[in-house]
Amino acid sequence: MKPSAFQYERPEDLQAALALLASGEDTRILAGGQSLVPMMNYRLAQPDVLVDINRLSELDYIKDDGDVIAIGALARHAAIKSSSLIQAHLPIIAEAYSWIAHAAVRNRGTLCGNLCHADAASEMPAIMQILEAEMVVSKVGSNRTVAARDFFVGVYETTIEADEILTEVRLPKPGAGTGWGFEEVAMRRGDYAWCTVVATLRLSDGRIAEPRIALAGVEDCATRLAAAETALKGQAPNASLFDDVAEAAAKATRPSASATSDAAYKRDLVRALLPRVLNDAVARST
Amino acid sequence: MSKHLKSNVIPPSRQRETPRTGLTWIGQSMKRVEDPRILSGKGGYIDDVSVPGMAHAAMVSSPHAHARIIRIDTTKAKAVPGVIGVYTGEDMATVVEPCPSFASPPITQHAMSVGKVRHVGEVVAAVVAEDRYIAEDAADLIEVDWEVLPANVDLETSATATGDALLHPDDRDSNVALDESFSFGDVDQHFEQADHIIKRQLRWHRSSAQAIETCGVVAQFDPFKGGYTIHSNSNFYNFIPFVIGGALRVSPGELRIIPVLTGGSFGSKVFNHKIIILTAGLARLAGVPVKYIEDRLEHFTNSDSHGSDRLYDTELAVTEDGTFKSLRFTVMDDYGAYLQFGVGTHGNAMAQVTGPYRIESFGMRVLAVLTNKTQQGPYRGFGSEVTNWVMERMADAAAAELGRDPVELRLQNMIQPDQFPYMIPTGNIYDSGDFQKVLAEAQAMFDFDAWRDRAAALRAEGRCVGIGLATCMERSVYGPTEWWSLNNRETPGFTLTSTPEGITVRLDPSGKMFVTLNSPMVGNSPETVVAQILAERLTIAPEDIVFNYSDSQSGFNGVGPQGSRFTAMIAGACVSASIKLEEKLKRFGAHMLQRRPEDVELRDGKVAVKGLKDQEKAFGEIALTSSFFRLSFPDGEEFDSGIETTAVYDHPLSTDPAEDRSHLGIFYPIVGHICHIVAVEVDPGTGKVDILDYAAVHDNGTMVNPRTLAGQVWGGTANGIGTTLSEQFLYDADGQFTNPNFAEFAMPTANEMPRNFKLGHVETPSPFTEYGIKGGGEGGRLGAPSALTSAIEDALSDRGVKITSLPVTPPILRGLIRDAEQATTG
Amino acid sequence: MTKRSIELTVNGRLRKATVPPRMLLSDFIRQELSLPGTHVGCEHGVCGSCNVVVNGQAVRSCLMFAVQAEGAEITTVEGLAQGDALHPIQQAFWEEHGLQCGFCTPGMLATAQELLAQNPDPSDDEIREAISGNLCRCTGYEFIISAIRSAAAKLREANTETTLQPV
Ligand SMILES: Cc1cc2nc3c(=O)[nH]c(=O)nc-3n(C[C@H](O)[C@H](O)[C@H](O)COP(=O)(O)OP(=O)(O)OC[C@H]3O[C@@H](n4cnc5c(N)ncnc54)[C@H](O)[C@@H]3O)c2cc1C
Ligand code: FES
Ligand code: FES
Repeated sequence: MKPSAFQYERPEDLQAALALLASGEDTRILAGGQSLVPMMNYRLAQPDVLVDINRLSELDYIKDDGDVIAIGALARHAAIKSSSLIQAHLPIIAEAYSWIAHAAVRNRGTLCGNLCHADAASEMPAIMQILEAEMVVSKVGSNRTVAARDFFVGVYETTIEADEILTEVRLPKPGAGTGWGFEEVAMRRGDYAWCTVVATLRLSDGRIAEPRIALAGVEDCATRLAAAETALKGQAPNASLFDDVAEAAAKATRPSASATSDAAYKRDLVRALLPRVLNDAVARST
Repeated sequence: MSKHLKSNVIPPSRQRETPRTGLTWIGQSMKRVEDPRILSGKGGYIDDVSVPGMAHAAMVSSPHAHARIIRIDTTKAKAVPGVIGVYTGEDMATVVEPCPSFASPPITQHAMSVGKVRHVGEVVAAVVAEDRYIAEDAADLIEVDWEVLPANVDLETSATATGDALLHPDDRDSNVALDESFSFGDVDQHFEQADHIIKRQLRWHRSSAQAIETCGVVAQFDPFKGGYTIHSNSNFYNFIPFVIGGALRVSPGELRIIPVLTGGSFGSKVFNHKIIILTAGLARLAGVPVKYIEDRLEHFTNSDSHGSDRLYDTELAVTEDGTFKSLRFTVMDDYGAYLQFGVGTHGNAMAQVTGPYRIESFGMRVLAVLTNKTQQGPYRGFGSEVTNWVMERMADAAAAELGRDPVELRLQNMIQPDQFPYMIPTGNIYDSGDFQKVLAEAQAMFDFDAWRDRAAALRAEGRCVGIGLATCMERSVYGPTEWWSLNNRETPGFTLTSTPEGITVRLDPSGKMFVTLNSPMVGNSPETVVAQILAERLTIAPEDIVFNYSDSQSGFNGVGPQGSRFTAMIAGACVSASIKLEEKLKRFGAHMLQRRPEDVELRDGKVAVKGLKDQEKAFGEIALTSSFFRLSFPDGEEFDSGIETTAVYDHPLSTDPAEDRSHLGIFYPIVGHICHIVAVEVDPGTGKVDILDYAAVHDNGTMVNPRTLAGQVWGGTANGIGTTLSEQFLYDADGQFTNPNFAEFAMPTANEMPRNFKLGHVETPSPFTEYGIKGGGEGGRLGAPSALTSAIEDALSDRGVKITSLPVTPPILRGLIRDAEQATTG
Repeated sequence: MTKRSIELTVNGRLRKATVPPRMLLSDFIRQELSLPGTHVGCEHGVCGSCNVVVNGQAVRSCLMFAVQAEGAEITTVEGLAQGDALHPIQQAFWEEHGLQCGFCTPGMLATAQELLAQNPDPSDDEIREAISGNLCRCTGYEFIISAIRSAAAKLREANTETTLQPV
C-alpha cells in the first residue's frame, strides 16, 4: 500500500495555487490528507500533480464576520472544534466533531477538505445544509458562492471543478433562541455514520419556527428533509407529532446500502433518531 | 466413569514443585523485563530487520474469488527501472513445492497460485524491486487474463456444489473436505431416555485476530550451502523448519529461522509457513535477500488466519429434574479455500466441549466445507471459543424451556470440587477446579442479586436492560493430538504427540545469568515469567538475568506461545534447569568453601554454608573460577569448566487417542475456569448495546504474575466483545470480501470497552504442573461472547428476541428486534 | 518524479534528506532516518500506531508525505527517554503494564504526550476519548488508561517540583 508517483507542488499563496490548478494537468489539492492519502495509499487516487495547500496561511482562519462566521480552507477540524467562536455560536459543530474521527485525524483534517471529499456518511455536509452555509469557491480570476444545498451532488461528488478551490465556508450565526439537536449511530464512535440526524429550530409562542433538518449517511448525499420541516412548522412540539414526522421521513428516504448495514436499518435509524433530535432541539431553544 | 473411557488411564503426576504460599517472586506483579527496550522503540520487529543487499517484494493479488488464470503478462512490469525480477506461480513452482498441509488427505495449496485462484487476495505474481514503492508500481503493470468460475460463498450451498464450482477438482470431487462422525459414550440411549430435548441452530461467523502488526519475512538464500536464512515473526520458529523444509527443497537443518519480537499474534502467527515459503522462493529466484511485509489488505485477504465460521444443529438431552445427560451436534464449518490444519479447531474444542457440566455422553458429526474465502487459521480460542458459546447458549435455552433459573440450573449440573480429575466423554480430563467458588466470587463482585433486581425494575419501566452470566472452561497446555485426532482413522496424517519446551541457562563469569529461550515474545511475557521463576529458585535478582532468543539452528526444542501453554511449560523447563544448575553450583561452591555439597545451600545469589553467615561464594565468583581456573578443582568430568545447563520440559500429561476413536485421549488437561457476568442496555430503536457493568473471575491456577495475567484477560475480553458486537468479515454474492480494512472491520477502541470492569482471581493449582500453574492466554475471548449474548437476550426477553448467531452488530440486532416487533403486530 | 531536499528537526536533531515526494512520513522516519520505533499497522489512518508528534500535535505519519514535514519539529518514541531515564509516560506504561506486544505503544505514547500537554489532569473518560484513535489488540486498554492516569500524576508532580525550585 504505497502511493504512486506524483509531482509535488507547494504554493506559498492562493494565486499560485490557483495557477497550478489551472495548468490543465491532472492536479489534486492536498489539504489535511486524511481522506486523500488513504485513497492514494490504496492507489484509488493516482493524481499526476499534487498541490499542497498547507502553506497557504492566508486561508488558516476562523473569524467573526458580522452575521457570519467564516472558516478558511486551512482551518483544521481540531481548531474548529475548540474554537470559542464556534462553541459560542455553533455548538452543534463542536458536538458533531466529537463524532468525527479521532484527535490525531482532526489535528490535520480540514473542514473544507471534508466537504470537498463529500463522503455520503460524512456529518458536516448535513450540518452545512441546516446552517445554510455558503461556500466560497475560487479559481484564477474569479470567485463564486454556492449555497450548501447546491454544493453536494452525490457520492464523493460536489459542484467544485478541478481548477477550483473551496477557499471559505460562511456560516450564518443562528438567530437568538435557536435550539439544535445532533444524533448519530455508527459502529464505533469516530466511524463514519450509518445515520446522522441534525436539526435546528426556534420556538415562537410555543410553536416551532424555522425547523431545519438534515440526514447524513443514509442516502448518497446529505439531504434536507423539506417535507418534515413543513410538517413541523407552526406546530406545538409533541411526541406523537415527532413520531409521525419521523415515520414519514423514514418512509420517504431512499437509503443507499453499504457493506455493513442495509436500507431497512437506515430507515429504522431515521425513525429512532429524528424524535430524539427534535426533542433536544426543542429543549435547547429558548 | 463411562465404559468407553476405561482404557484412558490417567498417568501419575510428575509435579516436582508443589503449589505453596510464601514464595518470593512467583505471584508478584513484577514489572516486565521486556518493556524498557520496547518502550524506547528498540524492540526489533520484523519490519525493523534489514540485511545487506535486501530487496522488497510486492504481490499481485487475485481480484476474483474463483477463477482460472489464462495468461499473465509481465513484460511491462519487468521494464520498470529498479525492478529486479517479476515472478509468477509457474516460476515459483520451479523452486518450491506446495505448502504443507495437516489435512488428511492433504489439499494442495501453492504459496503463489498455479493455474487457478480460490479466493480474493490469493497471490498470482510478485515483483522484487529496490524498494516497495517501485515494486508496487511494477505489480500494477502486470496483466492477468482470467476465466471467472462460480464463487462458493454460502456454506450449505458449497457443500453440494459440483462441476466448475468445485474448488479442488484434482484432489476431490466435493467441496466437503472432511465429514466424520463420533460418538463418545451412550449418546443414543441418553437421548432416548431424555425428558426434554433442547434444540437450537446456532451460527458463529468469521472474523480474525488482526494483530496490529501484520506478518512478514526477510529471506536469504545461500546458493553455496543450499540453505536459507529467514527472519520471521512466526510463533513456531523452532519447529517450522520441519514443516517447510520439504516445500523449500532443503533439509530442516538447512533452514535457519531467526525470531523477532512479534507485534501480537493471538494465534494468527502460529505457523506463517505460506508467507515464509513465498518470500524464500522469491529470494531464491531473484538471487537477493527479499523482504516482504504484508500490508493490511493482504493480511486480511491472504494471511490464512481467519477464525471459525460454523453452523451448529445442537441438541441437549435433559431429564425432568434438569440434569444435562448428553450433548450432540452436527457442525458445518466454512474453512475457506484450503485446509492447512485439518479440523484442528474442532479437535481443540473436544477438550472442553461439555463445559463445566457433568454431561455423560457426547456425539458429533463434523463437516469441513471449502468455500472461496481465505482459509482458516488459529484465533484465540482455536475453536473452543465457539463451543463454549454453544454450550452456554444451550444451558440458557434449557433454563428457558424448563422454566428454571439459569444460574441455579448451571450449579445443579456443575462438576463438584471433589470430582477432579474429571474425565469428560471425549476422554480429555479437567485436572482440577472449583467452579462453584469462581461463580460465587463473580456474583459477589458483580453484586449479582442487586443487579438482577435493578434490571427487572428497569425492564418494568420499558428499558431493555439485562444480565448475562457464563461459566466456561479455559483449557490450557495443549497436546498436539488435537491437530489430527478427528481425521479419518485410516489416514490420520500428521500424528505428532509431543510439545517440548526447552531453555538454556548459563552463569557467566561476570556474574550475569544468560538465558536462551526457544520461543519468541509475541506480547506474552516470556522473559518476565522466566526471570521470576529462576529468581525464585536460584535466589538471584531478576535484573541479573539477560535474555537471548535462539534461532532454529542454535536452539533446542521449543514450540512457542499458543494453546495457553507457554507459561506452564517454560516453568517446567526452568525447574529442570535450576535443579541441574543448583547441583553444579553447590558442587563447585562447596569445593571452594571446602565443604561437602550437602552442607551448602543457595542464598541471595551465593553458595553458602548452611547455618553460617559469612561462609559463602557469590555465583559470579564460582562461575569465574570454574570457567577460568580449572585447576582449582579436582579431576573428573563433574568439574568440567563452566556453569551451564540445557533443560527441556515435555507435556506433563497426555495420552493417545483410542485406536477406534471411542475417546480422544488426554490432550488438554490443565483447565482453568472463568465466570463472566455482564449487564447491558439495548437501545431497541437502533440496536446499539451499551455495557453497563462487567465482572470477570478467572481461575488459572497458581499465578506467576497477576498483573500480566490480568492484561491477558482484559485483552481477551476486548477480543470477545468485538467478536460479539462488531467484528465480522463480510462477503458479497461474488465472493468479494467487502470490509477488509480497519474502518469497516470494527475492532473495539477504548470507547467500546466497559467503563466498569472488575476482575477477580481464584487460584486452584494444578496437581500436574510445576507450582500448579495453568495457562491463561485465551480466557477473555472464551467467556465474553457467551456472557454478552446472554445479557442481550435477557435485555430483550420481553420482546421475544432470541440470539442464535454472532455477531450481533447494531444492524443485525435491530433486524432481530424488528422481526420480533412485526411478529407481534402482524 | 523529481526528488526534493528537505530539512526538519527530529528528536531535537536537524536532519537533511532528499526524498521522492511520494515517500510517506512513516517510511521516511523508519527507513531514511533509521528510527524504527514508529510503527505501521494499516496505512489507511485508522490504527494510530504510526502516530508521531509534529509541532506539538499527534498526527498519523502514514497520512503525511515526508516532503510536507519540511521545517517541522518531530518527536518520535526514540526522542522520549533521556539517556537511560525513561520519560515519565514511558515509565508509567512500564509500571502499569500498559503494553503487551508493544506494537501500538509508540503511537499511544505520542497520543498521550499531546493529551497531557493540553490537559495535565484528564479524567478517565477524557483519556479513553483521547486514545480512541489508537487501536490496541492486546491490552483491552484498561492498563493503558491506568498508565496515562499515572503518567499525568507523575508529570504534575514533576512540574510542581520545577516551579518550586529556587531560581
Ligand atoms: C480514521 C479516520 C476516521 C474518519 N472519520 C470520519 C468521520 O467520522 N466523519 C467524517 O466526516 N470524516 C471522517 N474522516 C475524514 C476526515 O474528516 C478528513 O479530514 C476529511 O474528510 C478530509 O479533509 P482533509 O483536509 O484531510 O482533506 P484531504 O484528504 O486533503 O482532501 C480530501 C479531498 O478534498 C479535496 N480538497 C481538499 N481541500 C480542498 C479545497 N479547499 N478545495 C477543493 N478541494 C479540496 C482533495 O483534493 C481531496 O479530493 C476520517 C478519517 C480517518 C482517517
Ligand atoms: S499506520 Fe497510520 S494509522 Fe495505521
Ligand atoms: S500492546 Fe499489542 S497492540 Fe497494543
